[in-house]
Amino acid sequence: MKITEQITDNITIINLDGRLDAHTCESVEAFFREKMENGQYKFVMNMENVEFIDSAGLRVVLVVARDLRNKHKGDLHFALLQPAVSRVFEISGLNNVLYIYNNSENAVQGFSS
Amino acid sequence: MQIKFWGARGSIATPLTNTELTAKIQAAVKRSINVELSTDKKVSEFVKNLPVHIRQTVGGETACIEIRTDRCLLILDAGTGIRRLGMDLLDRFAGQPIDAHILMTHTHWDHISGIPFFVPGMNPDNHFTFYSPFDDLKERLKLQQRYEYFPAPLPATYKFVRLKEQKTLKIGDLSIQTLPLNHPSGSYSYRIDSNDTSVVYATDSEYQNLSVESMKPFIDFFQNAELLIFDAQYTMLENIEKENWGHSNVFTGIDMALKAGVKKLAFIHHEPAYDDEKLWDILQKAREYLKINKPESKLELDLAVEGLTITL
Ligand SMILES: [Zn+2]
Ligand SMILES: [Zn+2]
Repeated sequence: MKITEQITDNITIINLDGRLDAHTCESVEAFFREKMENGQYKFVMNMENVEFIDSAGLRVVLVVARDLRNKHKGDLHFALLQPAVSRVFEISGLNNVLYIYNNSENAVQGFSS
Repeated sequence: MQIKFWGARGSIATPLTNTELTAKIQAAVKRSINVELSTDKKVSEFVKNLPVHIRQTVGGETACIEIRTDRCLLILDAGTGIRRLGMDLLDRFAGQPIDAHILMTHTHWDHISGIPFFVPGMNPDNHFTFYSPFDDLKERLKLQQRYEYFPAPLPATYKFVRLKEQKTLKIGDLSIQTLPLNHPSGSYSYRIDSNDTSVVYATDSEYQNLSVESMKPFIDFFQNAELLIFDAQYTMLENIEKENWGHSNVFTGIDMALKAGVKKLAFIHHEPAYDDEKLWDILQKAREYLKINKPESKLELDLAVEGLTITL
């Protein structure tokens, strides 16, 4: 899993590249925890290069989004879900509680609307 | 090896309501309009082809599973489902003494509350031995039948054996191992191996850290099981909302079963708030998840439904 980031207007866009699963969930969560400690609470997760998500991946994005919302009045928005990942979000009900956008710009915009 | 589910509901017994029954009848009648049903055969054919959530119910009895081999009778948990199992045993044994081994995962009500109503237990000619890693299982079960709660005490003929983790128990042709799970006040998984097959019962467990390393002890314990019976009480979202309540979901179950090379996965401990339609919808979604994430997999998924028998 490769993780890169860029910050615009106090919002951190995170680009993931790889599978979000039992092998990578811990490093992804640790990445977010570190950012939170540095006072970053608004994130956009660019999922363009994530072709696979399993229960470990689903759990980690839910836990991070929950903590950002409940503890820091922040959030985690999603952009550019691949079809398989998008369907897994639907099946598991994540699309009912997370904000999902068709591109990063809209996901960033989502924080001001 | 034959496995029969006598109770599959979690938390509390959940009988079908009249509203739910009426809805099932209405849905069936609606589908019968313009169908030619002039013979009994045509009627049963029609019923057989109804969607499963209309023609069946997952049932409301709580945890109880019977495992039968040529030489052994094993019972997993003693929720309300054990009452009907008791009646069935009386029929089957027709006066011959019954000898059964009862493995207890833990002592939450939904896993013990059938014991006072287990009629064969009242006959001292029958032999029932309870197993668990708890050192005070007998005291706990005696408490349940204190006079304030039930008119008859726990039968004095019941035997109790304390199991040790990482030690194999032999009963007849079966080898039994146990593993602690993550559940309020503790719960234990059981792995039962015969010469040619294996079943793992892993109910009442929450998995919070899903990393490869944290899951290894469970994956090892489930390794190559022919059948895994897995607690899937919650949806993915509920698992986060109800953190530390001690249950799991179908997606985690599928991923664990895939890693462990399990052949069949049966979801159990069904949420009392969910009706049949919702529960079979969850199964449908579980199947779609498997198809998306591992299309080549031959893992079979099913709901543990009251009365379902699986032959391994
Ligand atoms: Zn339970
Ligand atoms: Zn329990």
